[in-house]
Amino acid sequence: MIELEGVSWTYPHAAQPSLRNLDLHIRPGEFVVLCGASGSGKSTALRLMNGLIPHFHEDGTLSGTVRVAGLTTAEARLDELGAVTGTVLQHPRRQFFTDTAEAEVAFAMEQFGFPPGDIRARVDGALSALSAWVPLDQSLQRLSGGQQQQVAIAAATAHGPRVLLLDEPSANLSADAVDRLRAVLGELRARGTTVVVAEHRLRYLQHLADRIVVMREGAIDTEWTAAEFNALTDEALAREGLRGRVAVPVLKPAAAEGASVVDSALDGAPAQTDSSGLELVGVKCRLGGRTVLDLDYASFAAGAVTAVSGANGAGKSTLARIVAGLQRSTGQVRLGGKPLPRRARQRTAAIVMQDVQRQLFTDSVRAEIDAAGDGDGEAAMSDLDLAQLADRHPLSLSGGQQQRLVIATVRAAARRVVIFDEPSSGVDRRHLRSIADQIRRTAADGAVVLLISHDDDLLDLAADRRLTLRRPDRGPTNSDPTNSAPTNRDRTP
Amino acid sequence: MSAPALAEVAAPATAVRSPGLDPRTKALLVIAASAAVMGPGGLRFVPAALALAVGLALWERAWARAASLTAAAAAMWAVGWLLPEWWANPVTAVASLACAYLIRFTAAAGVGMHLIATTTPTALGFALRAWNTPRPVAVTLAVMLRFFPVVAAEAAAVLDAMRLRGLAGVGGFLRHPLLSVERFTVPLIAASLRASEDLSAAAVLRGFGSPRTPTALHPPRFGPADAVLVLGTAALAAAALLLPQPLT
Repeated sequence: MIELEGVSWTYPHAAQPSLRNLDLHIRPGEFVVLCGASGSGKSTALRLMNGLIPHFHEDGTLSGTVRVAGLTTAEARLDELGAVTGTVLQHPRRQFFTDTAEAEVAFAMEQFGFPPGDIRARVDGALSALSAWVPLDQSLQRLSGGQQQQVAIAAATAHGPRVLLLDEPSANLSADAVDRLRAVLGELRARGTTVVVAEHRLRYLQHLADRIVVMREGAIDTEWTAAEFNALTDEALAREGLRGRVAVPVLKPAAAEGASVVDSALDGAPAQTDSSGLELVGVKCRLGGRTVLDLDYASFAAGAVTAVSGANGAGKSTLARIVAGLQRSTGQVRLGGKPLPRRARQRTAAIVMQDVQRQLFTDSVRAEIDAAGDGDGEAAMSDLDLAQLADRHPLSLSGGQQQRLVIATVRAAARRVVIFDEPSSGVDRRHLRSIADQIRRTAADGAVVLLISHDDDLLDLAADRRLTLRRPDRGPTNSDPTNSAPTNRDRTP
Repeated sequence: MSAPALAEVAAPATAVRSPGLDPRTKALLVIAASAAVMGPGGLRFVPAALALAVGLALWERAWARAASLTAAAAAMWAVGWLLPEWWANPVTAVASLACAYLIRFTAAAGVGMHLIATTTPTALGFALRAWNTPRPVAVTLAVMLRFFPVVAAEAAAVLDAMRLRGLAGVGGFLRHPLLSVERFTVPLIAASLRASEDLSAAAVLRGFGSPRTPTALHPPRFGPADAVLVLGTAALAAAALLLPQPLT
């Protein structure tokens, strides 16, 4: 079904090839997992299979042959390749071209010119399967990561491609969402779809994968059959830099109470509060006519990492924006026992965003750190291994280096409250540890650290406590898939 | 099990509530309203275009947009027309002149916002094909339609990041306007390009912009809602021509 023969590929302007003389043959109906460290070439291999390479990067250098379902990818048009392959990118929300599940599932069939009656029947079938898990009337951008993943898979397979390609589909998914992903992939496998998954987490694919291909520096390093893979321990996977079973972090609940709190540490017990850190007292935020956050009290200790979790719409972003002074609310925010007005919070807090490119403003690493504040910029650069990159333009750095640079600016500015927003999206085991170390070191500097993440592996490594939020206007459980968050129209400037 | 938390506030909670207008009606309205208010003597049509923009926002239940359009127009009217009468000096004269132009943009943009908020790229593409629009033009317009919300979300995030770095203040902007613009646009372009690459890759792989003839699950058709809107717009245009002009 898929044949890669002697394939080498160098991206435009890249000094080194991303793939080197790659040979890979995948049989019809086979389920293959490509794994390896970040930068090993697994995502590039997927882009070869769906034709984005070479068609989307015309100035790159390709040698060798790639054939998919009988089509030579270098010669076929992208839409011809798209008709036989379905692709699910790492961030499904970025690939949606429409706003509803119905329109998104219909999109490919419309573009391929399917008869409207056929589209209707297939869309109805797909929506029927999705309806148990996905609120179909809700904007796709408002769905949880797991729900977006399911819509993206339905949209990629509705036109009946023989091959499904998925790029790190479990990145950003919690353990229960990974379970659902496994079930969906199992259904596709049973239908005879050829599936290729590029992935860091591996254990959830046990009993699905027919073959595991470990890549290193653009070439195949090792191949395991299903039996060989099943016999491997997590420790053996770790030696290859791979992530095995998803950790189940055991974290104490943060000291908090209120309608937004799932596990209140104060319920029925004397308050174990900490006035030396960050405290929220009577904080309530209403947006769009409903209460989106309701905390009677919450305390986040200085020098510790508090994980903030909860379903979409539970108020995580509202909490972060209130703490950072970007969102108005009632009540009081205190730091070290002293009230901190909203504007002052903007000068006290920092956010390390998932897309760190949004927060790099100058033309060199050094200038970025100098612009951050009067703290010890040299020490921050040195600590974060950026000294040798001081004259580079921030946008020329790798994603990991950019993230370290933003953390360095936070430390140089000596911010006392630091919020990390999903910092470990799609990273391998080695980088996961590195990110966890950075978070720990930020807390060790004495900062109050809030870690918004669904990556249980990261929480296991980096968090001390957990604050689990829920929609305050819902009951005590938070399993309602129709949970929704404040709308853009409701946003306070 | 979630998208990035800080992106939570960047999208409407429920899918777009379209009043069921044909995209061609909406596109014609945008063209007509823009031509009317931006042309010579366009101020005569500004109240009608604003009424149309606010009416469309109310129709799709975009309360915040309806309120902000009304507030923006009222503020421009106050600065552009009332203030110079009360306090005439060169500064208010310049502000008045600026408002006389800005209010036209506000009116045209208000009508355009309805098109952007309620039209799917597929529907727009289908409508443009029905007009025999060349494929490259139709595809470009449809991609732009999808790309607007992406840029808006990225711009909001970049502004948030600038606030937290102390780079978004009015004082800083006045002291270093070019530097401030650069600090806003460079990360905006970088983040938007990154988001657009995934978007365009996924769309092209699903046949978007290919030589095939697309079909539509819900083909757009002129209906009673379009008739109501056309009649209402005609009434507003007639009122603009016949009634006294408040903005002169």
